[in-house]
Amino acid sequence: MGGGGGGGDNETYASMEEANAVDYSAPSRQQDSSYSVASTSAVQVEEELYKKERMTLLQENSVDSTRATDAQSSGVLDDYEVVYVKDNVSVHPTQNALGRISGRLRLIKQGPSLFMTWIPYSHGGLSRQGSNVVVKGGLRNRMGSRAAERDRNLYTIRAVSLSEMRSIRRHTPPFGWQYIIIVLTSGLAFPPLYFHNGGVKEFLATIRNHALLVRSAEDANVYLVNDIQDPLQRSLTSLELTEQPAQPASAPSQEAPWPVILKQEVPAAAENDVKREGSLKQDSRADSLRKRDHARDLSMNVLEKFSLVTKFARETTAQIFGESRMYLDGLDMDRGPAPRPPSDAEVLISGKEAQASFNKGEDSSSGLKSADEEVVDDNLSADDEGDDQAATNVGTFELVDGTQDDSPSLVWGRARPPPLGSEEWRSFLDSEGRVMDPKALRKRIFHGGIEPEVRHVVWKFLLGYFQFDSTYAEREYLIAKKKEEYEVLKAQWQTVSPEQAKRFAKYRERKHRVEKDVVRTDRTLPYYAGEGDDNANISVLRDILVTYSFYNFDLGYCQGMSDLLSPILYVVDNESEAFWCFAALMEHLAPNFHRDQNGMHSQLLALSKLVQLLDRPLHDYFKQVDCLNYFFCFRWILIQFKREFDYENVLKLWEVLWTNYLSEHFHLYMCVALLKRHRRRIMDEQMEFDTLLKFINELSGHINLESTLRDAEALCLHAGERGAGCIPPGTPPSIPDEEAGGWSD
Amino acid sequence: MSARKRTLLKVIILGDSGVGKTSLMNQYVNKKFTAQYKATIGADFLTKEVQVDDRLVTMQIWDTAGQERFQSLGVAFYRGADCCVLVYDVNVMRSFDNLENWREEFLIQASPHDPENFPFVVLGNKVDVDGGNSRVVSEKKAKAWCTAHGNIPYFETSAKEDYNVDAAFQCIAKNALKNETEEEIYLPDTIDVAQNRPTKSSACEC
Repeated sequence: MGGGGGGGDNETYASMEEANAVDYSAPSRQQDSSYSVASTSAVQVEEELYKKERMTLLQENSVDSTRATDAQSSGVLDDYEVVYVKDNVSVHPTQNALGRISGRLRLIKQGPSLFMTWIPYSHGGLSRQGSNVVVKGGLRNRMGSRAAERDRNLYTIRAVSLSEMRSIRRHTPPFGWQYIIIVLTSGLAFPPLYFHNGGVKEFLATIRNHALLVRSAEDANVYLVNDIQDPLQRSLTSLELTEQPAQPASAPSQEAPWPVILKQEVPAAAENDVKREGSLKQDSRADSLRKRDHARDLSMNVLEKFSLVTKFARETTAQIFGESRMYLDGLDMDRGPAPRPPSDAEVLISGKEAQASFNKGEDSSSGLKSADEEVVDDNLSADDEGDDQAATNVGTFELVDGTQDDSPSLVWGRARPPPLGSEEWRSFLDSEGRVMDPKALRKRIFHGGIEPEVRHVVWKFLLGYFQFDSTYAEREYLIAKKKEEYEVLKAQWQTVSPEQAKRFAKYRERKHRVEKDVVRTDRTLPYYAGEGDDNANISVLRDILVTYSFYNFDLGYCQGMSDLLSPILYVVDNESEAFWCFAALMEHLAPNFHRDQNGMHSQLLALSKLVQLLDRPLHDYFKQVDCLNYFFCFRWILIQFKREFDYENVLKLWEVLWTNYLSEHFHLYMCVALLKRHRRRIMDEQMEFDTLLKFINELSGHINLESTLRDAEALCLHAGERGAGCIPPGTPPSIPDEEAGGWSD
Repeated sequence: MSARKRTLLKVIILGDSGVGKTSLMNQYVNKKFTAQYKATIGADFLTKEVQVDDRLVTMQIWDTAGQERFQSLGVAFYRGADCCVLVYDVNVMRSFDNLENWREEFLIQASPHDPENFPFVVLGNKVDVDGGNSRVVSEKKAKAWCTAHGNIPYFETSAKEDYNVDAAFQCIAKNALKNETEEEIYLPDTIDVAQNRPTKSSACEC
């Protein structure tokens, strides 16, 4: 019961993989010549190791990976030294044991630098496991193994320098294996690395022997990494660390009203975006590491302070998203015909000032400003308090101060545009029925939603059942073909005879589970009303869910799925099509239901990081009351707020989420928006885990969707890339690759 | 014993999905039953003031998702529990068979300081269904299981008919309080706890 359970421990492999892996960490060190030189040679080290190992492995023919390789493999090799080796350290991109990618973790010392690599075992090793797979009942198609191959490349960690690491978090779940999550200074995080054979402690101890590893004063499971050689920087970094406990959430500096107000005309500069890019890129210099770390922390405060800067943020972030076209249909009133947005840098205070005010214990800073100090004079100063308005060339906007005002929606003086109607929908299609500009469509829906009369068509596109570039005729064909396919799947369990069922516990159990849940799914809605299974639509729900549990036998049925299916069936109102739409949605959300709760944990972790970025005091508060697991948001995330809104609003929310327009993880920004909205109460009433959970649960039915969407949009825009950096790759509902984009051949 | 600081009793209800955990809790706390409950996602709790002997205590009753797949969350929810209520449906054999799993899972995740003596109460729910004709787990069988697991108090209930629900929770409160008391004695010094131990009868002595 429970836990990760089964598989993985006895994995064997035959040879090491050829070194063609994606360099995962490349972007974070591109500007630093000294680092890239070092890294390159570390890659060479890695390659040499490959060769040596392949030789050894060939000689040994087959190797049981559970043997202790540590002693044998470590040792001095030319000018580098492998100081740590651990086998069976794996990444778990999916729930089932097959999807796990096992590999070897190493620490390599070269000169004064330490590098970490994690290289998955070769394909040969995995295909050997194929026999296990079949026994476990998983059918692995070719597509699947290609995906696995891609995954292995995607997750490979090749020679990441310790200087690029910001922290290592150790997780010790009550079940399953210990794992670590490594966060880079760039804000990127590697997916969790599971230590199937133990060794986390050794790993940390080894790092500690070679680099500065400090246990976070805030969280004993977090180790902050820093191998900066410069003693001054080192001490500054340590200083920053030790400053944390001296600044509890309730410290005056945190509680003081944010005095930061935008006031002056901010000149629009054509080179703004250039500047921004420059500042983003250049701060990977080793020299700026310390500054950036400061800046990062401080920028969180600033973000909090600025909480939301309406159009301003919208405009600037629009640039981040590289968006040049505006949706000018007269509905988007905020946007003038010639928007000339000021850069982020102009909103924020210079690094110099930030440093000064940091020292004074004030809250002001620049997150991204290391490169363009010249903007200092144009910047707001921390002394400009009092005003609540700021003017820019794009108009007047309000600054909302997250501490003082719990309603950031005030900044959005606009209503959402009306939903997409049938006529407008047709205007998105060419004569043969292709969606001409999917991005514009997604944007339109993101902002306004869909009229009920076209919802049933458009949802099929949003969910990926229909391809945007399919024609009417192709869709007709798809529908017919998919219907047949569905009937075959359905027959698989419907033809189970009573005699067979007697000997088929899994089948009985699943059917029983589904039946238990469908009769208590949305019965207050006329479409599903009634008692027991006296409603035909309830039977359809059951048939689809049982069929799905055979279609995706490894995942099976899990509570929450009936909540996800119900609105789809209601909208699509066709059994086979609802099935395929649901299956497409589950391509994204299946990890929510994985046995080890991996998908949920990664989302909750990402949420925690987002709150840390967007509302540092609230984050500090949650930390103080030991609530950083964010389990109180579990229901929100598991079923995409299905239980939090009335039915009509669930439909409205979901179509917005499914556009993936601003972010694939917009639901997490919804969470942040809601928490921010109630932050004052949460902190004033000193809610703890139980009261917080109760409070959150009882928000159900009392959430204003429109304003929450606007808040979330503002937060998402404002967080921009920093927000995206909080969310590790592969966090649901993202799919690691595009293979599930649609269903046509 | 002098006045206690803590009068909050934390009770966790566990059992397979659909056995009636939410219904029992709602019947007990709100005196309501509806056939329209939704499957519990995550966890929730209700509180109720209860008089146990001469003491007024607040019982915090936690209702959790019944699918074992969500058990990894348990560690957050079970922490600090004073009593664990195991529920099964007398009409579903599997829900009875799973009691063992639920019990073990709870002990692992909550890791109470004295697992041997941690108070459980077992409820066989839905005795009303079909006038008892669809019943597959006999009272005798259930009681035998309870006896074998350290004389766990056992109640047959119907959340729908409000049968035996109050009595069951009264017992739950009492056991939870006893656990709390023992904890308090246990922690500061080495007063003997053993004497409280094996004399629980199969039904609650309240």
